[in-house]
Amino acid sequence: MMQEVLRLQNLQKSFGSVRALKNASLTLKEGEVVALLGDNGAGKSTLIKAISGVFPIDRGDIYVRGEKVSIRSTREAMDLGIETIHQDTSLAPDLSIARNLFLGREPVNLKWLGVFAPLDLAKLRDAASALLKRVGISKKLDADALVSTLSGGERQSIAISRAMQFAAKVIILDEPTNNLGVEETHGVLRFVKEMRAAGHSVLLITHNIHHVFEVADRIVVMRRGEIVAEQTVADTDLLTVESLITGADLSALMKRAQ
Amino acid sequence: MQKSMVQQVMVQQVGTVTAEDGAGHAKAKSSLMRSPQFSSFVILVVLLVVFAVADGNFLSPLNISNMMAFLPELGIIALGMTLLLTAGEFDLSVGAVFALAPVVVMLLVQNAGVDIGVALLAGLLLCIAIGAINGVIVTKIGISSFLVTLSMLLIVRGAALYITQGFPLKSWDQPGFFVTLLAGSFNIGAFRFYTSLWWFIGLSLLAVYVLRYAKLGNWISAIGSNRNAAVARGVPADAVKIWLFIATSVLAGLAGMISAFRISAASPVAGTGYELEVIAMVVVGGTALTGGRGTILGTIVGALMLRAIRNGIVLVGVPGLAYNIFVGVIILAMLILHALLQKNAARS
Ligand SMILES: Nc1ncnc2c1ncn2[C@@H]1O[C@H](COP(=O)(O)OP(=O)(O)OP(=O)(O)O)[C@@H](O)[C@H]1O
Ligand SMILES: [Mg+2]
Repeated sequence: MMQEVLRLQNLQKSFGSVRALKNASLTLKEGEVVALLGDNGAGKSTLIKAISGVFPIDRGDIYVRGEKVSIRSTREAMDLGIETIHQDTSLAPDLSIARNLFLGREPVNLKWLGVFAPLDLAKLRDAASALLKRVGISKKLDADALVSTLSGGERQSIAISRAMQFAAKVIILDEPTNNLGVEETHGVLRFVKEMRAAGHSVLLITHNIHHVFEVADRIVVMRRGEIVAEQTVADTDLLTVESLITGADLSALMKRAQ
Repeated sequence: MQKSMVQQVMVQQVGTVTAEDGAGHAKAKSSLMRSPQFSSFVILVVLLVVFAVADGNFLSPLNISNMMAFLPELGIIALGMTLLLTAGEFDLSVGAVFALAPVVVMLLVQNAGVDIGVALLAGLLLCIAIGAINGVIVTKIGISSFLVTLSMLLIVRGAALYITQGFPLKSWDQPGFFVTLLAGSFNIGAFRFYTSLWWFIGLSLLAVYVLRYAKLGNWISAIGSNRNAAVARGVPADAVKIWLFIATSVLAGLAGMISAFRISAASPVAGTGYELEVIAMVVVGGTALTGGRGTILGTIVGALMLRAIRNGIVLVGVPGLAYNIFVGVIILAMLILHALLQKNAARS
């Protein structure tokens, strides 16, 4: 049926004495939206940073489309088709929107010049404008504007549109709706659905459980560096999910209260 | 009348290159007015006018020739420093490298009988090694560039002093291809220029191209602006920084060779204090000390400005020991001006 795109097996990662990831395993299928949930410090960002090559894992295996891979750098993750939007802002404020959108994958002329190749500025700006239109950012943004002049939400939208353009197999969003207004939030959720419809897989980290029920197929809950539950959204409800996150049995509490 | 026309032409030239990626002309113009290199440029013009009025000799062919002989030597280092600062690092060892490179090259030729071409190659490799060590320690071990390059300053200066026993070398008396290439001179009318001016112009154009139009420049600015963001996009931040340290060191060595050949002598104490003078040129031109925002044009203006100040205040009759008071005050005033402009731009 649906093909497996990404499989993580027993990932472990420690920062000194902090065991941020203990034994995390997870599978992501084609055209599937998986919500990764958990309280602050549960290890969600650590997990996705390991997949996206920000730092190496201590132990464990990563498979992309059934093939075992080692991801040693962000470039390798991108080349494997994994695009990540990190929680901590992922844009360079002193660069223009257009330059940020293509950072690391700049369109150039005279490619043989390597890093000295001249940027294809016309293409850069046109592609950026087209992209900005497609994401439907409410305010009209100029591709030449510096990112430092944008609001937090606008920056987030830029980062998301950047992940869209390279048609990655796996798109990872770490709390993408943080700081966003109503309209932009819906833009992001719509984007997630579009991506699924187009056959991409999305790993969505969020603290907003309503969003989970709106877009996700499956939820994975982390607590203290471990994956403690996995459920399909159709088979669960809000209260159950909340109790899984906190570790307290809320539905039992509610029943007792009644 | 004539001066104002010259000014206009120069403003236009700065304008065309400053226009953000060739954006609309009107927009470029308004952002140009507020850009730091423009305010530096205006102040440079004012200074030139003041000095010219105060002392008739300031614009004499002899004096201009003099300034143009000195300008490239610090200016060439400043180009490398601008790129390095834009990437968020700096290098305090440039003044020492400026001394060590020619000392080593000339010693090899004079005392060891090595061919000049081979000696220059050895000097080049030495500069590459110094830059690479700076870069690797800063990026891979994670010590701040202030501390690393301060230590390197002491090591390199110490080496220059030790191998010369503290004395200047005997004067250089072997003209040849390389000497002409680095420090040859030619006359245009009453002006006497050195080939180093061509080096400076060529390297400036290259630096403008790299920072503004090349893929590498995009990476350099991004690294200085938000290193994590750049790394997350697959930009090899450490490698870029290491190469920039190497480039800065090599440019410092080149400047040292040019200077030594021009005056036909190498001294272990040459270039003392140049590191701060160069950093001053760069930040006066509008490059941010914190990284992310760099301007080569600003640096050129800054280099011209510091040269003109040093030269002008002598002519105007400021007592020698008081130079640095003026230089310091003018630098401070420039920085305050940049900061105020920045604030204004942010508000509007
Ligand atoms: N670079 C680091 N160095 C040391 N400890 C770290 C580092 N990154 C994360 N940690 C620790 O690892 C644990 C997991 O952090 P992580 O950022 O993965 O949490 P999270 O689930 O994303 O939380 P949040 O919802 O607040 O973003 C925390 O205890 C955190 O303090
Ligand atoms: Mg997090």
